[in-house]
Amino acid sequence: MPRRSLTVRILQVVTLLVVTFLFAALVAAAFFNDGKPLTTLSPSGPSSDSIQKLVVPVFAIAGVVFLLVEGAVLLISWKFRAKDEDDPEEFPEQVHGRTFLEIGWTILPALILAGVAVGTVMTIIDLNREEPDSINVQVAGQQWWWQYKYDVNNDGNFDGPEDIVTATEMVIPAGRPIQVTTTSNDVIHSFWIPGLNGKRDAVPGLRNPLKLEADEPGVYRGQCTEFCGLSHANMRMLVRAVPTGDYDAWVRNQLKDHSAEPTDPKAIEGKKTWLALCAQCHVIKGVNDVKAKTTPVPLVAGVAPDLTHLMTRGTFAGSIFNLYDPTDPDDPSVLLPAGDVASAGNPGAALTGGAVVTANVNRVTLEAWLRNAPAMKPMYPQGGRGMPNLALTEDQIDQLVAYLETLN
Amino acid sequence: MALTEAGPLALTSGDSDTVYKPAGVFTRPKSGATGWKSWLTTVDHKKIGIMYGAAALFFFIIGGVEALLIRVQLWAPRGTLLSADQYNQVFTMHGTTMIFLVVMPIGAAFANYLMPLQIGARDVAYPRINAFSFWAFLFGGVFLNSSWLLGGGADGGWFNYAPNNGVIFSPTHGIDFWNLGLIITGVASLAGAVNLIVTVLNMRAPGMTLMKMPIFTWMTLVTQFLLLFAIPVLTAAQILLMMDRLFDANFFNVAKGANPLLWEHLFWIFGHPEVYLMILPAFGIVSEILPTFARKPIFGYPFIVFSGIAIGFMGWGVWAHHMFVSGIGPISVTTFALTTMFIAVPTGVKILNWTATMWGGKLSFTSPMLFSIGLVTMFTIGGLSGVTHSVAPADTQQTDTYYIVAHFHYVLFGGAFFGFMAGFYFYWPKVFGYLLNEKLGKANFWLMLLGFNLTFAPMHILGLQGMSRRIYTYDAGYGFELWNKVATIGAFTLASSIALFIFNIFYSKSKAKNLPAPGADPWDARTIEWMIPSPTPEYNFDPIPTVSRVDDFWYRKYGETKDGKLVRIAATDDVVQKLSDGKHIHLPSPSYWPIVLAFGMPIAAYGLIFNLWLALVGAIIIVGGLYGWVLEPPDDPEASHDDDGTDTHASGGGDAAVTGTSESADQSNELDPAKEAETVG
Amino acid sequence: MAEALTARESIKAADAHAPAAHIEHDTNTGISNTKLGMWLFLASECLLFGGLITTYLLYKRPLEGPTPKEIFDIPFTSTSSFVLLMSSLTMVLAVSAIERGDHERLRIWIGATALLGATFIAGQIYEFTVFVREGLGFTTSRFSSAFYTLTGFHGVHVTIGIIMLMSLVLLSLRGKLPEHRSETVEIVGLYWHFVDVVWIFIFAVVYLVP
Repeated sequence: MPRRSLTVRILQVVTLLVVTFLFAALVAAAFFNDGKPLTTLSPSGPSSDSIQKLVVPVFAIAGVVFLLVEGAVLLISWKFRAKDEDDPEEFPEQVHGRTFLEIGWTILPALILAGVAVGTVMTIIDLNREEPDSINVQVAGQQWWWQYKYDVNNDGNFDGPEDIVTATEMVIPAGRPIQVTTTSNDVIHSFWIPGLNGKRDAVPGLRNPLKLEADEPGVYRGQCTEFCGLSHANMRMLVRAVPTGDYDAWVRNQLKDHSAEPTDPKAIEGKKTWLALCAQCHVIKGVNDVKAKTTPVPLVAGVAPDLTHLMTRGTFAGSIFNLYDPTDPDDPSVLLPAGDVASAGNPGAALTGGAVVTANVNRVTLEAWLRNAPAMKPMYPQGGRGMPNLALTEDQIDQLVAYLETLN
Repeated sequence: MALTEAGPLALTSGDSDTVYKPAGVFTRPKSGATGWKSWLTTVDHKKIGIMYGAAALFFFIIGGVEALLIRVQLWAPRGTLLSADQYNQVFTMHGTTMIFLVVMPIGAAFANYLMPLQIGARDVAYPRINAFSFWAFLFGGVFLNSSWLLGGGADGGWFNYAPNNGVIFSPTHGIDFWNLGLIITGVASLAGAVNLIVTVLNMRAPGMTLMKMPIFTWMTLVTQFLLLFAIPVLTAAQILLMMDRLFDANFFNVAKGANPLLWEHLFWIFGHPEVYLMILPAFGIVSEILPTFARKPIFGYPFIVFSGIAIGFMGWGVWAHHMFVSGIGPISVTTFALTTMFIAVPTGVKILNWTATMWGGKLSFTSPMLFSIGLVTMFTIGGLSGVTHSVAPADTQQTDTYYIVAHFHYVLFGGAFFGFMAGFYFYWPKVFGYLLNEKLGKANFWLMLLGFNLTFAPMHILGLQGMSRRIYTYDAGYGFELWNKVATIGAFTLASSIALFIFNIFYSKSKAKNLPAPGADPWDARTIEWMIPSPTPEYNFDPIPTVSRVDDFWYRKYGETKDGKLVRIAATDDVVQKLSDGKHIHLPSPSYWPIVLAFGMPIAAYGLIFNLWLALVGAIIIVGGLYGWVLEPPDDPEASHDDDGTDTHASGGGDAAVTGTSESADQSNELDPAKEAETVG
Repeated sequence: MAEALTARESIKAADAHAPAAHIEHDTNTGISNTKLGMWLFLASECLLFGGLITTYLLYKRPLEGPTPKEIFDIPFTSTSSFVLLMSSLTMVLAVSAIERGDHERLRIWIGATALLGATFIAGQIYEFTVFVREGLGFTTSRFSSAFYTLTGFHGVHVTIGIIMLMSLVLLSLRGKLPEHRSETVEIVGLYWHFVDVVWIFIFAVVYLVP
């Protein structure tokens, strides 16, 4: 037996203490979900709630097993340690096995797991139950933003003239089930609003169902969770749950187009720029109902967000920048979503078609985006995947923003 | 064995003179040679095992640096060390490197070095194919990493889901390097699997029935069967991807009706058995170490063996648990959730058996023992978080978050790598003839345990609180800052523990000359590899022992009384084998061709990417290598034949344990053209 | 053990220890290393072809371009399949020839096997050119990619088999294939039969199943 080293002993004690403390801190952290908008541990809808009801006992069982096994190993290590004074030729009892023990600890975990299995199956059935009176929304991922199509007239078609196409943010009435169908226009993405339900991959060529329902009005954040290329990290989404009345107003407003000419002279100039440049990829209904350019590559989405009602959204560019609530222009965080996400990016009355409060528009970020979009979010504009640097002059940017501000 | 019988007889009937006539390059290298050149042509399973380990540790450092880059980037919101593009390449290559170039080859290193010793064989069944396996793995790994210098690494994740792996979405050659590099390492793994399975099944020492094999050998057998069947599925998927990327096929072209889930299914049918074949070798190592230092037999040998086999079988029925959110439908989700839950049962049996092995023992906490207990405790965490994924609705929240990252690092680092560390410390004296310093070893363990937990434990909570995987950046306001900082600190602690291990290797080596040699059996161990001198002589055993029970070597030293008491019956020095000159033992002769043949593959692969003429050159090297392989004489010019041949039988029916050299290697070439088809065709 | 011996001494050893009849006792399983290795390799190949066949089944209905029904010439492919199946018969005859020590017949039957294999490959090449002329290029549709990859991959296997058979003929001509090395022929035969059996599956799945 080599001489015991004090350094090693200190390292051992430190490690055991730190690791124990770490585990305790992590368990404690699971109970603090404020300020964590993507947490899975604080459900806000029936689906996420039934997942939570399943997960908590599973974690509890796992925790008990963890404590038993780790405790047993540590206890055994202590109790049966060889001591210096032991005779090296003195051996412990040579036990080769005990069949009844083996059978016991094969059956016991199997029984526990059978219990978990029952809960799992019941929850799967629950999560897949069809809800009557749900709103049908098709969610399409593309690099690197989300498009939403609402089947407003419930005819099973998402592309009719009565239907809504929007992007980045999904507006839903609180307390009413939404039947989401996920799909993709290019690679596989995953649609995930942790507060409302688990995730569901958006696979090109497939239509995958997912139920969403928010108990209360509020803003529910999401993040694309299937690796989808360069800007995967910058592909977020937002579900804005509103009272039913507001939702109906929102729908009415979304069905309008923007064929009326703007009145502000700056905005009139901006519209010209729009038609010359932006309309190649983007659509504003009533102005250019189809985009001017088709993307030659077959697999690439070839679409850019529909901007008909841009100012009814609180965020833009894959929900990574706030469209409203500018703060000090010198503050670098103006490019980021604010920490308090519930109020951040609030379109206010514009959401339901009211006037845009231009004083609240986050011009700094919006202008920076128009100045050089690829510098603010990694994209491949040369491959038809993302917004290029349009080399606009400052005047053009100013006019374009003025025009965009009319898109309520 | 038939081959070795047939060989010499063949020569008598034909023109044996011409066979032995040196014919320029067709002469085999001399066996007695030393120095670096001898490593290039060696067919010795031990040297090949050491090279596997050394190459894997080299790639481990590359993968580790990539891991540190990731952790620095995520230290704080909006990290700027790496661009999005660089980050995507780094995490892709980190995963690919750690899985294919580190964990799998370290498993192969132990299997190559130890398994023939544990079964009392002179070498593996096909020594030249063994060398070819290693070189193909090494060249495949170098080829894969050469992408860094030739336009950037793969950027689609180690799983490279379609259609994001297509040319449109990943126009650089990174994914081509990934694809062809892994086809090459796949050929290496497949050749290794055939080789090692045949070795275990055919070349055991007399008396060693399957149920008397050491557990590590059992786990190697299961692992190699998993490889045998898993690798071709990946290769099939990769052939489709290669056709798509290089020849414009439509396998993953959604515009022409392709289904992207095809790739996911093929990849995970490979990918899940892959997980088990990474962990089982470490389970085997730990099953050797725990009884040694508990000084009592492994608890429930048959249960440990059968649970390993059960894991091997059940591992094939769980792949779609990687796809719970892919849209495979609730019926499939339910089925795979249930199969996944119940694979936890055999895994749990192993953990409990290890615990029961320790119960009632006299535990000495040497470095290998500490790392083994580390595996038991850390793998338990990974196993339990694995059970939470099998609960499919929970998994819809957890999958593709850092919770998964935490889970599989607890399995692959806390499980596999702790087991490998235990194996390094345990077998170091057997392989290199000196013990690693115990004090440094223990410090190594505690530092690694600390760094490991600091790095990966916080990822559980990060994932549960919403942090996605594979994101190069995150924003303030999501509550990710604290635990990312802890994880980054942990990563550097972990790196320092690896540095300490490498330091220990050199430090212990330099101190070794002043210390007594460890001898054949420094740990008072149990299995027959410990009865031969350290470092292992080239011929392994002389004579081949006859095995009568599990832990045969232990029971040559100790006897058990009726009431389970153990008494020494022989001094260790009397039962271990003495170093002999080994002159009468014929060993397989070295060969140039394995390295030549393996070298042709990356050349062909570079050709497929850059210029088809170069591919032709590669193909010519491969074909030429094959013919050289077939036509080279069975022995080197100086091979000794000065013996009447009876000595090798002296061990009493040791026939089974002896390697077929010339003929087995010679005939085995029939396997290769077909294998090449996977690469070229 | 016997590898330790030179040719001369091996006879001595064989006398003393390992008469030819005992060959099968030399491995634990009684199957020679090489044969066992080939079995394992072929088992692995099953999974490889399994992956490709599954892919074909998934993609057999193209969205554009010629359909299987329009393009396949079943009588032609049936004939070439029959030719390939016959080569399994000649392979069996070759193995039995070498076991009898009839080297002349061995070469004839192996040659015949290779020739039949080559006929099959020629048929496949002809078939491919016809298909391409009819508008089924490799990149035309998901069906065309899957079809050419699967059958082409099988064709490569047959070609490798032919090369191995030709090598056996050369070895035999140089007197290096005596009857106690019949196992070499047998093992090449295993590979050849495997390739044939796989073709039966492919033929059924690709050409016959509607």
